[in-house]
Amino acid sequence: MAPEAIHDPPPVLPPVLPPLPPDGGVDESVFARIYGEHCDLLVSLAVRKFQVPAVDAEALAHEVFLSYLRHADEVRDLRHWLIGAICNASRYYWRKRGRHIEQLDTEAAAERADPRSRDVLTDLPNSIAIAEVLDAMPPRWAHILRLRYFEGYSIKEIAEQENVTSKYMQKLVAKCLQRAQEIFNGLRARKDK
Amino acid sequence: MTTHSDDVTHLAECSACRQRYAANVVPFDPAARRNREREFTSVAAKLERERDESSDVVARYLRDTPTDEWSRLAEMPDLRNNAALEQMSEEVRRRLDRQSTEALAIANVATSISETLPPGAYPSIVLAQLRSTAWRDRANALRYAARYDEALQSIERAESIVQQFVTLPYDHAVVQLVKGMILAQIGRLDEAYVVLSECRNIFREHHDTRRFQQAALAEANALYEATKYTEARRVYEDLLREPLDVEYQARIHNNLGYCATQLGDFVQANIHFSEAIAKFTDLGFTDEIPRTERGAGLVFIARGQIATGLGHLENARRAFRINGMVEEAALCALNIAAVLVERGDDSDARSIIQTIADELAAAGLDKNAIAAVVRLRDAIDMDDATVETVRTVHALIEVLRDSVHESAN
Repeated sequence: MAPEAIHDPPPVLPPVLPPLPPDGGVDESVFARIYGEHCDLLVSLAVRKFQVPAVDAEALAHEVFLSYLRHADEVRDLRHWLIGAICNASRYYWRKRGRHIEQLDTEAAAERADPRSRDVLTDLPNSIAIAEVLDAMPPRWAHILRLRYFEGYSIKEIAEQENVTSKYMQKLVAKCLQRAQEIFNGLRARKDK
Repeated sequence: MTTHSDDVTHLAECSACRQRYAANVVPFDPAARRNREREFTSVAAKLERERDESSDVVARYLRDTPTDEWSRLAEMPDLRNNAALEQMSEEVRRRLDRQSTEALAIANVATSISETLPPGAYPSIVLAQLRSTAWRDRANALRYAARYDEALQSIERAESIVQQFVTLPYDHAVVQLVKGMILAQIGRLDEAYVVLSECRNIFREHHDTRRFQQAALAEANALYEATKYTEARRVYEDLLREPLDVEYQARIHNNLGYCATQLGDFVQANIHFSEAIAKFTDLGFTDEIPRTERGAGLVFIARGQIATGLGHLENARRAFRINGMVEEAALCALNIAAVLVERGDDSDARSIIQTIADELAAAGLDKNAIAAVVRLRDAIDMDDATVETVRTVHALIEVLRDSVHESAN
């Protein structure tokens, strides 16, 4: 028996409309401002973070702006929405071209400390352990886990790559994780000795 | 110090870092940039102008045209633009619950218009968006009409349209949300929660709180139905960390109570059910309080926690009576009677059944319902009652209650 309230729709929040001129007419400068304020950032994200070629990055950013127009009434946080859109567009761009790796932005990375570096003492051993576990796994299984958890591929996309059904891939990922856990436990036990 | 490349949340919130990040990095063709900006502003202005000029046009046409002639509306020049299609989408949404046939008729008009707009009417990406929206609305209308095969075909058409553009992952996620719900409704739960999980992550990345909540709730529901209670609980808990209104929090606590009960974590289950009841009480949702208690009672009993379950059912029954919900109180009492009969406590079972008969008679409710309850009491007297007998009477009263409510509507 399912919980009673489980199908209830979520609350509908009042939409935040984009700024419009007071007389309700169309003011192109509002949209020009949106474009001008965000275009450099979106192009930079595509180029620096995802290494999309500059020409394609401009085109991607432009399409992101166009796609925003039909959602303008429901977008409540424009900057986050645009950033989310360009990041996903860049990922899809590479996936369509058969490249799987989200590229590092080395220049920007050097400028600022990673907030996660606070936990480096625990994270680094974990990273080493993960590398050891993946090395010890069958190559196909390690590949699947890399795609899923390091490169952010969906189950469906991995299934398509591997030419199997999504349902089977879901089970396979679960099996890979279980195997990874077993290998990790074995490695830890050996080190504890 | 480690380095990072993906702290986009920080970039979104810190103006200084944003400027530094975007400054003097990307060489671009200024003329091409200007042309693009011009195209963007002119498309934006066109869409806004159409919205201004077409206000209520769809509502007017729907009002002035007999329903069986709505298919002709696809030819009306006034309706062959983005603004009218947006209004149609809204009209479909409004009708989904109670008038799914009308919703489907409007969605059919919208798909017909969107598929026949000339290629130059809007940029190709905008055309793809409005086409996918029309097909998605059609899928949703078919879903509400329980025509699931056709719903699936429609949503797959919507999906194929948005997948042609790498810059439409958000629109794809909106399509996936409907697809996941359809898959869940036809019992393809393993596919449903995978799809819903993917779109949930996209909504989170876009800071679309409302759709994130919808996707998370649907995903948790699919996981629960698939008896993956641990995973369902994790999604509900994730959802609870979001800023939610009190009603929403109450419902999620209720659902977490179900998950915890199924997982045998009865202490947590009680805490969550109590949280739900406290929040419904704060909100003054007096009908929801006994419903939560009854749900908790039934799920506890199903898991063998009889005393706790009976306690919740008693609370529910009392609250239903206070609210004047006689049939609901009777149904609750029958749930209690079923437990009592099962454990051979015929004397208490008889007493509670007699009370139900008296209450139904005092409220002047259906004679068939009262007769069924009296027969049940007599069966207990003759040591002839089983749990099945009690459940049959329960089902009968439910049917009678529903038919009365339907005829009242």
